[in-house]
Amino acid sequence: MTTSLPVHPALSRRGLLKFSLGASALLATAGLGASLSGCSVQTPASGFICLRANDLLILQALIPVVLAGTQAADKRDALLLRLDNKLTALSPAMLKLTHQLFDVLAMAVTRGPLTGIWGSWDSASSAQIEAFLQRWQDSSLNLLRMGHASLLQLLHMAWYELPDAWAHCGYPGPPKV
Amino acid sequence: MPVPDLFRDGLDNRGWKTRDASRLDQDLHLAADIAIIGSGAGGATSAELLSAAGFKVLLIEEGPLKTSSDFHMLEDQAYASLYQEGIGRMSKDGAITILQGRAVGGTTLINWTSSFRTPEPTLEHWAREHGVKGLGSAELAPWFARLEQRLGIEPWIMPPNANNEALRRGCEALGYNWKVIPRNVRGCWNLGYCGMGCPVNAKQSMLVTSIPATLEHGGELLYLARAERLEHNGEQISGLHCVAMDSRCVEPTGRQIKVKARHYILAGGGINSPGLLLRSDAPDPHERLGKRTFLHLVNFSAGLFKDQVNPFYGAPQSIYSDHFQWRDGVSGPMGYKLEVPPLHPALASTLLGSFGKENALRMEQLPHTHVMLALLRDGFHPDSAGGEVQLRSDGAPVLDYQVSPYAWDGVRRAFQSMAEIQFAAGADSVMPVHSDARHVKNLTEARQMIDGLNLELFRTRLGSAHVMGGCAMGEDPRQAVCDSLGRHHQLGNLSIHDGSLFPTSIGANPQLSVYGLSALLSDALATRLVAGR
Repeated sequence: MTTSLPVHPALSRRGLLKFSLGASALLATAGLGASLSGCSVQTPASGFICLRANDLLILQALIPVVLAGTQAADKRDALLLRLDNKLTALSPAMLKLTHQLFDVLAMAVTRGPLTGIWGSWDSASSAQIEAFLQRWQDSSLNLLRMGHASLLQLLHMAWYELPDAWAHCGYPGPPKV
Repeated sequence: MPVPDLFRDGLDNRGWKTRDASRLDQDLHLAADIAIIGSGAGGATSAELLSAAGFKVLLIEEGPLKTSSDFHMLEDQAYASLYQEGIGRMSKDGAITILQGRAVGGTTLINWTSSFRTPEPTLEHWAREHGVKGLGSAELAPWFARLEQRLGIEPWIMPPNANNEALRRGCEALGYNWKVIPRNVRGCWNLGYCGMGCPVNAKQSMLVTSIPATLEHGGELLYLARAERLEHNGEQISGLHCVAMDSRCVEPTGRQIKVKARHYILAGGGINSPGLLLRSDAPDPHERLGKRTFLHLVNFSAGLFKDQVNPFYGAPQSIYSDHFQWRDGVSGPMGYKLEVPPLHPALASTLLGSFGKENALRMEQLPHTHVMLALLRDGFHPDSAGGEVQLRSDGAPVLDYQVSPYAWDGVRRAFQSMAEIQFAAGADSVMPVHSDARHVKNLTEARQMIDGLNLELFRTRLGSAHVMGGCAMGEDPRQAVCDSLGRHHQLGNLSIHDGSLFPTSIGANPQLSVYGLSALLSDALATRLVAGR
């Protein structure tokens, strides 16, 4: 891909506007770019139904940050399987959006400018990941705010659906019937 | 002693005619007097009445058939199998989570059992502003009474759980109006899992009432079949084209089902009903289809209490307050009904917001957490015009919904009311559910914080479990998709019997409104069909 990038969005209004327009273009082409350039592998990772190898790398980096203060990092495999299972129930339209979100996070060409994480996910620090999440939450761009909300919701719900998570939140589980 | 699974028993022993479209190994042709699309409150109620009147009814459901022995009170299973889009349904911009059911029984399978008659001011407003005829309180009262009896609807007799009790206590302390919620249950175990399918068949959902009755009357049930398109010539429908879905209800299997009927009833609910008509290029000369689709927009306030609330146990909704619902008039500033939601871990984790240690801390306090919600009454004011159902590129319907400044004003006032009631109930701290909010210790601080909150999409956690309108009823075809009898204004043999008919939101949890209206409309339809008109 040879898309020109707004490399250092200034914190001026004009800079933000420019950034937003650039980001829109990036997001709009990310899915297409990913499939054309082969940057994104569409086949699921071994043992998974929806999640691809690149998605797993991203999630493995996000889990210790998004679910800090819980046992989630110790139960990572169970959590990833649960999350994968959640994705299998989504409508094709919502699954496609979710895959596009992961594509944007996976491809270097979009990841750097949009998340501020210029290196690979496995080398990103907690502080960098927190900054990325904060940046997306506060973004003027609806798609990034939606991406932020989706990532958090997927991880939170997948974790707290697991019985492993219940002791921490004082939930004794369903009663016996 | 295991709880008997009445539906499975009926399937095994009573010769009920049901078909699982996911297992079809060839295409299918079906014929009926009346084809009903959707097996929720509107479709199943209509099916029971019309099959009892002697018509051959075919009830078509997109979702799977799950019965009490499948209901294990587990969030993962329930969300994946019983909710639209695996609980991933949201407004087009992703800012509002929309909870709707998708299984045999529709949303009645997973609602929290609150059952209110359509409020009188709402019916009066429809007659006055939307040309709705013959649907006043007096006309509907006998139907509501009949359905209340049919579905065991009575004010909850047991003490409210601590989550509901806090709402009662707070209102009582402030002199605000509160009441006990009527629930559609018989022999309720007070478990708290109504949202995941009732494991003991106490909830009088369509799965244990009108659908078995329809099957007893010789009606047929076809499930895991998505109604894809109505074939028509602009005046009459000649057939319905369905696609068989896989057992997860995600992808079509490739098998098709063609249905021919004398009359068609659309009862897919807000979003899906207008969606099918849009896919079918149904005549819409005045561009009303899918427009004015309303939500009871819901915002939330969390309170922490010294004593355990255990908001995951006990009848989820048993107390409400209409103190702020009608006091500024029907079409004044947006009114709201106050209730509480049940809080199971997964839903609570995404509701309570933030991430990392902060979210973990909020979750650690779950047993002491009380959450209140406001159902904002949409559609009664010119600045409250709802959203619009559109089709995605794959033909799936989606709701484009913008939150107006008028609605945001309601959200802010609701945050204020909820914080006030939570403190009056004895909360140690209160936090409006908004990404810039934090727990504060007294009402003065809460008021100040709420006044300063930047109310915008995503920062404010918004959801809705009630989608209404999009196929509005009314006598004037320039305003409405159907007339007051639910008859489509352009397509002669099509009726709509569901919440998409409502010209505004209801101003209360809508299930009894859908039951009562569908029963009345079905009775009139049976008379017309017998007379051959």
